[in-house]
Amino acid sequence: MSIASTLAGVLGAIEQAGPVLALRNSTFVYPIVNAVHIIGVALLFGSIVALDLRLVGWRRDVGPTDAFARLLLPVAITGLAVAIPAGLLLFATDARAYASSSLFQAKIAVIAIAIANALWLRTIDWQGPRGGRRAALAGVASIALWLAAIVLGRLIGYF
Amino acid sequence: MNHRWIIAGALILGLAPIAPIAAHHGWGWATGEEFELAGTVKTVRHGNPHGTMLLATRAGEWTVEIGQPWRNAQAGLTPQLLRPGTRLLVHGHRSARKGERLMKAERIVIAGKSYNLYPDRPS
Repeated sequence: MSIASTLAGVLGAIEQAGPVLALRNSTFVYPIVNAVHIIGVALLFGSIVALDLRLVGWRRDVGPTDAFARLLLPVAITGLAVAIPAGLLLFATDARAYASSSLFQAKIAVIAIAIANALWLRTIDWQGPRGGRRAALAGVASIALWLAAIVLGRLIGYF
Repeated sequence: MNHRWIIAGALILGLAPIAPIAAHHGWGWATGEEFELAGTVKTVRHGNPHGTMLLATRAGEWTVEIGQPWRNAQAGLTPQLLRPGTRLLVHGHRSARKGERLMKAERIVIAGKSYNLYPDRPS
């Protein structure tokens, strides 16, 4: 059996799982899970863009990067921690179709790169004079990547 | 360099895939003209965000969007009724995109009985 057909079998089984079927056919739970996913994305995107702008150098006079990070990173991580499980639930209701959608695949790839970008930033001295330039670059990349993830996510429903 | 330009660049880069957007949910993507299509059900997918069926028609294979679970239930359109092989007539609106074999159902007629998904809309 090929990897692709094994994967299709696993995804098909996920779609047929009792709770997933119940979600797919629900009246209120599905739109609520949908809303939770968006709330997570909103928390993540709003806070990460604010931090990214600070990394790029916007409003440098307001305070040190570290202070921004202490406020905004927990909000961003909470947003991600809310968006991912809600997103997995939505994915499960039509797993094979999502998995085979190139827009969905692109969205997941972009999110993986965005998370890697954020993790990489943690490994450099983002407040030093050298880290400053690299941090600014990472900030720009972060804004572009998260924007792309949101747009790709929306496009899935339309194509 | 002014960092405003960098930020603007990031915005444009991230929004690039928005260009080919076309409305899908709601009715905006369909023509205003009433449309009807007769055919035989090939496959059906029930569930959120809305159901979809593939219809074999004289004009080829068409995709027909039906309602979300509560709307179909309200219309009496049960999964038992919409089985592969069922002959039916769909009233609704077709995609405004030229040549696209896609429509959204307002009312479905099976064996002479009407199942109205949108009682408030003329169909």
